[in-house]
Formats: sequence, C-alpha cells, structure tokens
Amino acid sequence: MSNIWYYVFTLVFFLFDYFILAMGLNIQYGETGILNFAYIGFVAVGSYVTGALALPSSVGTGQHYILGLGLPFPVNLLLGGLASCGLAVVVALISLRRLRTDYLAMVLISLSLVLYDICNNFVPLFNGADGLYNVPEPFAGVLKLTTNSFIPFFAAVTGVIAALLWWVMSRITRSPQGRTFRAIRDDEVVAAALGKDVFRNQLKSMLIGSFYAGVGGGLIIQFSGSFNPTAWLPGETFVVFAVLIVGGVGNNVGMLVGSLVVETLLIHLPAFLPAIPGHPGLIEYFDSVLIGILLMAMLWFRPQGIVPERVRRALSLGAPANLVAGRGEAPGGAPARPVPVEIATADAQGEK
Amino acid sequence: MTTDRTTTPAGGSDETRFALSCDGITKAFQGVRAVNGATFDVPEGLITALIGPNGAGKTTVVNILSGSMTCDSGTEHIGGTDVTNWPSYRIARLGLMRTFQLSRELGGLTVLENLLVAAPDQAGESMVNVFFRPSAVRRQERENVARALDILETYGLFHLRDNRASDLSGGQKKLLEISRAVMASPKVLLLDEPMAGVNPALIERIGGYILDLKAAGVTVLMIEHNLNVVERICDHVIVLAEGRTLATGKLSDLRENEEVVQAYLGEVINASTHG
Repeated sequence: MSNIWYYVFTLVFFLFDYFILAMGLNIQYGETGILNFAYIGFVAVGSYVTGALALPSSVGTGQHYILGLGLPFPVNLLLGGLASCGLAVVVALISLRRLRTDYLAMVLISLSLVLYDICNNFVPLFNGADGLYNVPEPFAGVLKLTTNSFIPFFAAVTGVIAALLWWVMSRITRSPQGRTFRAIRDDEVVAAALGKDVFRNQLKSMLIGSFYAGVGGGLIIQFSGSFNPTAWLPGETFVVFAVLIVGGVGNNVGMLVGSLVVETLLIHLPAFLPAIPGHPGLIEYFDSVLIGILLMAMLWFRPQGIVPERVRRALSLGAPANLVAGRGEAPGGAPARPVPVEIATADAQGEK
Repeated sequence: MTTDRTTTPAGGSDETRFALSCDGITKAFQGVRAVNGATFDVPEGLITALIGPNGAGKTTVVNILSGSMTCDSGTEHIGGTDVTNWPSYRIARLGLMRTFQLSRELGGLTVLENLLVAAPDQAGESMVNVFFRPSAVRRQERENVARALDILETYGLFHLRDNRASDLSGGQKKLLEISRAVMASPKVLLLDEPMAGVNPALIERIGGYILDLKAAGVTVLMIEHNLNVVERICDHVIVLAEGRTLATGKLSDLRENEEVVQAYLGEVINASTHG
C-alpha cells in the first residue's frame, strides 16, 4: 500500500473518532448545557483504561501501569468507556449538584489540569510522562494484519462503531428524554418547575457523553498503539468544542461535518504537508492559529454552525396529519371559541 | 393539615378545603426580610388573588411555594402533604405548576415542544423505554402531541406550533407559559402576574382562560395588580404587605379595611378616581 493510502485512512480514522468524541460532548453541552471543559480528561481515562486492559501484566514490560489484564478488543474498549462514566459519576456528585454553568466550567478546567498532572507524574498509574505504548493490536492473533493493512481495517472498525453510536445517539436526542435535556439546557429553573429532576437528567447526560468520550479515547490508543500526556493537553478540549461550534451545536450530523472540517482538514492534514525548510514543526503550530480564526469566523458569521440544530416540527413528532391540517390557522391567533368574561380595561391601567 | 382553620374564604362553603396552605413563611436576603411570617390558605377550586404593594414579597412567596426557592422557616402544605422546602420538581409532580413574572420560555424548543416537555409521567424519559419499549413511547408521544395541539388551539397559539419559542412576542409568551402549565394537568396553578405588560384585549382573553381553568376544577393563586381583574375573576383575596399577611377575604370587604387601604388600595383608589 502506498504512503498516500496510509495517510488517507489515518485521516478517515480521526474523522470517525472525533465524530464520536463530538457526539459525546454534544449531548453534554449541546443538548443539556453542561459546559464540560474537562472533556479531554474523560477521553484520556477511556484511552488509558482501554490500553492498560489490553496490555499484559506490567511485570517485565519496562512500563508501569495498573490493570494489565490482556483483555481482547471490544471488551477492553467497553470497559474503557465505563471507566470514563465512573469519573463522570464522581465529577457529577462533587460539582454538578452544587455549581452552575460558569463556576462548573471553572471547576472542570481545574479537574482537567489535576487529572493531567496526576497521570503525567504518578508513574505507577499509567507510566507517567512516557504513557502507555506497545498496546497489542486488536484481533492481532486472529487476522494477522500487517501494519499497512491494519490501518484501513481499523478505520473501518471505527466507522462501524461510529455508525452504531450515531444510531444510539439519534434515538436519544429524538426521544422525550432528549427533549428534557434540551429543556434543561434552555432554562433549568423552568425544567424543574415542570417536574424534571435536573440533577438526575444532567447525570444521565454526563454518563452518556462520558461513555462516548471513553470509547473515542480507547479507539485512539488501539489505533496508534500508544497514548501519553502530550496527546491530551487540557487545551485539546477546545478542539472538540471547535468541532461542535463549526459543525453545529445540537445536531449530530453537524458533528460529522465539524469533525471533517476541524479534525481532518485543519489538524491532521497539515501534518502531512512537507515541512517548510529551516522551520521544522512550524506547520503543526498553524493548527491552533487556524482553529482560532475559524472559531471566531464561525461565531461571527454563522453561530448556529454549518448544520444548525433541527427545528422539530409537529408532523415529525408524530402528529397525525389530519390533526395539524386545516384548523386554528386564523391569522393573528384568534381563539377558537368566544371568551366569556368581560373585563373593563379602560381604567385597568389606572394604577400604573 | 390546616383544613381545620376557622377562616372561611369568601365564596366558599362551610366545608371549604384548602389546596395549598402556608404558615409563618420567612425568607431573608442578606438581612433584608423579604417574607416575614406569611400565613394563608388557598381554597380549593377557587381563584385567589395575591395582592400587595411592590416589595411586599409576593413573588418570593410564589418562588417558595413552588420550590424554586427555600424558606428560612415556616411550613407549606399541598392538599395535606407537608412539602416544606421540597425541590421544585417534586412539588410540580404533586400537581402544583407555576408561571413566571417575566416569561421564561424554553427558547430553543418549538412552541409545541414547550408543551410536550410539561407532559407528566413520560415513558420516553427513561433510557430503557427509549430502546426497549419504543412502541409504548411512540404511542404516548402521539397522545401527548394531540393533547398539546388541542391546548395550543384553545390558547390561540396553534399557528405558531412549529416556531421556536424565543421568536414569540411578549403576549404570546405569556400565553405559552399558561398553556405549558396547563399541559401538565395541574391541580394548583400559581400565576405570577399573568397579565402584566399585556394589551387590554389579551387581558380579557387571559381572564377567560383562568375562569375556564377554574371551571375545570383547577385551584388558581395569582399575583395581580389590576384590581379590575381581581374584582371580576377572583373569589378570594390575600393582601401581603412587608412580607406578612395583612388581610384575607373578598375584595369588596377589603376595601373597607383601613389597614389594607393604607397599605395598598389607597393609592389605587385615588389613582382611579383622579385618573
């Protein structure tokens, strides 16, 4: 396989993977309004746990890590996603119940930094700054793939997982549960006054999103075979936010488009461009500049994103067509029947 | 239980039951006593007005009664259940709905969705049902949609069903607030100035809707400054001043009450005679 295909399938992998990550952040932020600035921390936990579960016992490997159970591929990925959910429970119990938007965001940024420092410095956990490496390839024993055939294969596996998770997420966002999430996003006081348990729903949303984060992270370590702290600097959270804002907050299809524009075209494609002579690595640094410019341009010219949130019309919500057609269409919204009371209004404003 | 209270509300029979009662509610904001021992009963099935000068603590009382705020002391009962300082979602599930003084629509949702959110006991709010009992979820959703469309038609919002709620005008938002609360099939409805900032024709319509709700058996407690409205549609009046219950009764009786006239009615009566 020529080099060009190697690049293309790497890009395809990241397209699907960030699609998954963006869907997870979208259910939290786009649907429920939880400003999760620690998102990349949830990705990292999923990645480390997935990797450490796939690796054999750490004795004699030259690495230090917990777990080391040598579990086969989809099992370790699933557990990686659940580990991320575990972190979400802790975070929710500590902060979600007590803090609102901005303050919650600040606490979550701090959490992201704390997690980063722990993983970077506490070697026995996930091998510190070196991170995990030599993570066994999925299905290595069964399929006997070479490095070249593994990359398109795993890009396809990721595509299938992404499609499955997309189906699941669409079911959730289209259901009454999704509507309740959006009600909480728009005004949690009103949602509570309408009988919605805000904390319970926020916790659900955090759990769903964190599972997606964990699975997305787990796929990264399975794809590249390694994962270390340089891959999840706390600022990486904003790359996922950029995917959301560019693609269209609150729209799952938008996540795929955003992932294509931000992750594939802006972040990974430049890395394959030839280096500028005399300035090695300069091109990679343009990523952040380009993302910054794109974010500002989007927020200025098209804040709803490339694919805006859908307006869910009556017919799409299951209203029988005969119920909608031909009634109440009087202009000005006049009531359908006479209103009985007569209230003098001339001096009604007298007190004002 | 406070049903053994001796006070009989105007317009009520001897066996009046109280849908909502509060006793000695206090609430201070950094030393300022917004509510200072408010005590009153809201008779079941009637329309009760909560009036009082600005700053009397009316909205704070509504916030406390609906659970949007906790009180420092005092007790609240809904139909005999002690609900003091319950979170608002639990109070809502007991059948107490409220509207807000400044309309708080769910702006990102359509008008129809605003109502659908309010439907009680939705099977589709459980993840298990969404994935494993989709037909039950769909069936209930269809019923809720049909009911929501009926309510929208009644309230003259039907043609706006697919508009985002944030696009509505001020008056339409007031109607949306009320219809959303109605969608939840409330037993008790707290309306915080449902007619403030609304044109005279719409005031008339909203008054009609409130009377219809009463006819349907809903207990209404409404904050209202417009005494014409209070006179015409409210059966019972509670006067709040400086966070305390000053008097309760029929508006015509309260007009004779020296204290009430001084605290609140005086200005209005003067204003309407001179204006």
